[in-house]
Amino acid sequence: MPDFNVRADSVNVEQIMEQIRARIRDKRGVDYTEEQIRELAAVKLEKFLDPRSIRSDLLDQFRKAQPPAAPVSVPLYPFEDTTLFDSHRGIVRFFRRLFRPLVKLFFNSNALTQSLHQQTIINRQSVDRLDAVETSVRQRGDLYYELLHNLVLELTRATIEVKNMSMRVESIASRLEFTERRLRALESVVVYKPAEPEREARAASPAPVPSPQRASGGFAPRENQRNAQQAPTPRPPSPAPVPPASAVPAAATPTAADGPSSGDAPAGVPAEGPGQRSRRRRRRRGRRGGASAVSLMTTPGPGAGSPAPGTAASADQTHASASDAADSDEPDEGDDAAEPFEQALSPEPTERRGEMPQSTPTPTLTPTVTPPPTVTPTPTQAETPAAEPRPASDTHHDNDQ
Amino acid sequence: MKLAVVVQRYGLAINGGAELHARYIAERLSRHAEVEVLTSCAADYVTWRNELQPGVEQVNGVTVRRFHVKHERDPLVFGQRSDRVFGSAHSIGEELDWLDSEGPTSPELVAYIERHASAFDYVLFFSYRYYHAYHGARAAGTRAILVPTAERDDAVGLSIFQPLFRGVRALMYNSPEERTMIQAVSGNHDVPGVVVGVGSDVPSQTKPARFREKHDVRGQFAVYVGRIDQNKGCTELFEFFQQYLREPQGRMSLVLIGHTLLPIPAHPRIRHLGFLDDADKFDAIAAADLLIMPSYFESLSMVALEAWALGRPVLANSRCDVLKGQCIRSNAGLYYENAAEFVDTLKAIEQNRWLTATLGRNGRQFFREHYEWPVIERKYLEMFARLSKEPAPRAVDALPGWMERRRQDLPAARDVVRKLPAGWSRS
Repeated sequence: MPDFNVRADSVNVEQIMEQIRARIRDKRGVDYTEEQIRELAAVKLEKFLDPRSIRSDLLDQFRKAQPPAAPVSVPLYPFEDTTLFDSHRGIVRFFRRLFRPLVKLFFNSNALTQSLHQQTIINRQSVDRLDAVETSVRQRGDLYYELLHNLVLELTRATIEVKNMSMRVESIASRLEFTERRLRALESVVVYKPAEPEREARAASPAPVPSPQRASGGFAPRENQRNAQQAPTPRPPSPAPVPPASAVPAAATPTAADGPSSGDAPAGVPAEGPGQRSRRRRRRRGRRGGASAVSLMTTPGPGAGSPAPGTAASADQTHASASDAADSDEPDEGDDAAEPFEQALSPEPTERRGEMPQSTPTPTLTPTVTPPPTVTPTPTQAETPAAEPRPASDTHHDNDQ
Repeated sequence: MKLAVVVQRYGLAINGGAELHARYIAERLSRHAEVEVLTSCAADYVTWRNELQPGVEQVNGVTVRRFHVKHERDPLVFGQRSDRVFGSAHSIGEELDWLDSEGPTSPELVAYIERHASAFDYVLFFSYRYYHAYHGARAAGTRAILVPTAERDDAVGLSIFQPLFRGVRALMYNSPEERTMIQAVSGNHDVPGVVVGVGSDVPSQTKPARFREKHDVRGQFAVYVGRIDQNKGCTELFEFFQQYLREPQGRMSLVLIGHTLLPIPAHPRIRHLGFLDDADKFDAIAAADLLIMPSYFESLSMVALEAWALGRPVLANSRCDVLKGQCIRSNAGLYYENAAEFVDTLKAIEQNRWLTATLGRNGRQFFREHYEWPVIERKYLEMFARLSKEPAPRAVDALPGWMERRRQDLPAARDVVRKLPAGWSRS
């Protein structure tokens, strides 16, 4: 299991459950308690409970759809002490009054009168109360309708938001995957080498003094840097003179389009395998604070006003500075630099790598001098010139090429 | 030594937890003593209808004596009385009425015990909550030993059972959690008791490949064995498992074994195989990656023990204290409280082979140490030996008088249970 950490010989179930619960908490972000959830729900509802701030056409329709309130049809009649003996006929009323004392001898009509009188009062109160309740229920119904309506709105909004978020997550995931693939492809491919005409032009230009940034970059060995600043000092004799870069025939110089040059170690420098290269690359990335391969690839030439291309300083550029520099006035290098990137994404990188030995892998790293014999030929030191200061463009091979 | 085992139902085809428990114990103890099983003629625990012949028969070499049930259960009356005694203040008389309506009401069985109790050294009563145990234990007097098989449900809060827990000669508990609960509800700390549980006849060799081939089950799967019922937590299990199925990494299937009272979700990775015989059941467990126990209430999960015996981990519902306690004590199972935990624990078992194997190994060890038959038999025999040396302190309290039984002063059983201490016990 990827993120499940049990390494002991015997398991502790409680400990495992703790780990699982911690992971669930991490996934959720915040683990709300029941009380907190209720509190949050209450806060939301408070907003809805103010019907003045809510307008809805549906509410009117809801009201229209409701049946009209039927009036309470309870017959209300008065009942007084004379009601029992009353009549619309005068003679009947007369006899009833006449015999009233006699009737009262047989039963207590007062009790009946009183209770019926009380009943009329109760009836009236009940009707009033019923009316009030009905009005209240209708008002509350409106409020509930508003609440439901707005809950539906909120839910819809939340659903849309969730969909948007999931789409964004998908998009980011695919971009991440693409970037990772690109990174992997770039790591396995040779980076840009300047084309022959450029190299000739750079060789013709006066050798610039290495920039302080270059010197402090910690990229080349200090001893070599010192040697470079003390030029012209006598150099140790080279056991096998190597022609300068400008002397290399153009046909023999692999351009960026030639792809990776796994076998193009300079004369006198021990050839490196791909494993050494990748190790060296990792070490450099660690030192440089993780500049991306893309930024290395898109670093412009010296004319762009940036540090020397391909040097450690240029490699130090952030992705932003690299992209700024890509807009500079030297499109040739930028275009060239883009080529290996395309190659890296091409579906047949291995075939291109396979072509390299056939296309005359002339050493383009061009160390005009061999490294001092005292320096241990670690991959970095081995490819760093030990003697005179060179044009910054000559140090381009420091970018692993 | 002569023993009687009294249980509500008994037979080879009866697979209820307590009933199976009683049968296993009767058969095992019959190797050490003369055992007679006293039971009802009922086969169905819902109706208690008289389906089996009364009289004496032999089941796996054990004498079984069956008695008529006086009346079947009326679900309506039982439901009303349950609502009354569980949910509101009531009287002892109402609790006794509830017991009568629950069944299996067999006065003949109780009368037989009363007449013949002296012929037995001890009378083992299984399942405290039924008529036979309550009235039978009173009839057996100081020979009554109770195997309560109590779960944390409302019935344990009824006041009529408290004198029963205090008055029997001894209690054979299924788990430390059960003991804690019964001691808390009745205060029977001075009554001899031991946590025993029950073993299982797990075959020494299983054929998981045969099961897979027979039922066309492929890939990793979790198995549930038991009645597929809401009360057993299966609704929640389906809900949680479907949530797990929505996980892109989840590859496990769910195989359900047992009679169902619920609709099974229609999903190609949820398979219901119905009721299987023991051989198939054990092969299924052996073939599975784990056993899931979603039940909320258990006094002892025999199927969990069987899974451990076969070296398979268990994923249990942590709301059941007993299951959670067993998982922790054995270090052989994980537990879940909600859907997220269910999904993650299942994934942990699914993706970590080492964890699965270790949990399974622990389970096997746990079963061997605590639930192998020699261990169970020894605990019973030791208890009998202990009781034979100790004088019988008292019998179950007599029933209260007519007036006392009608006094409405008993709290709702649900409230009593709610106040009981919860949680698993370490030992």
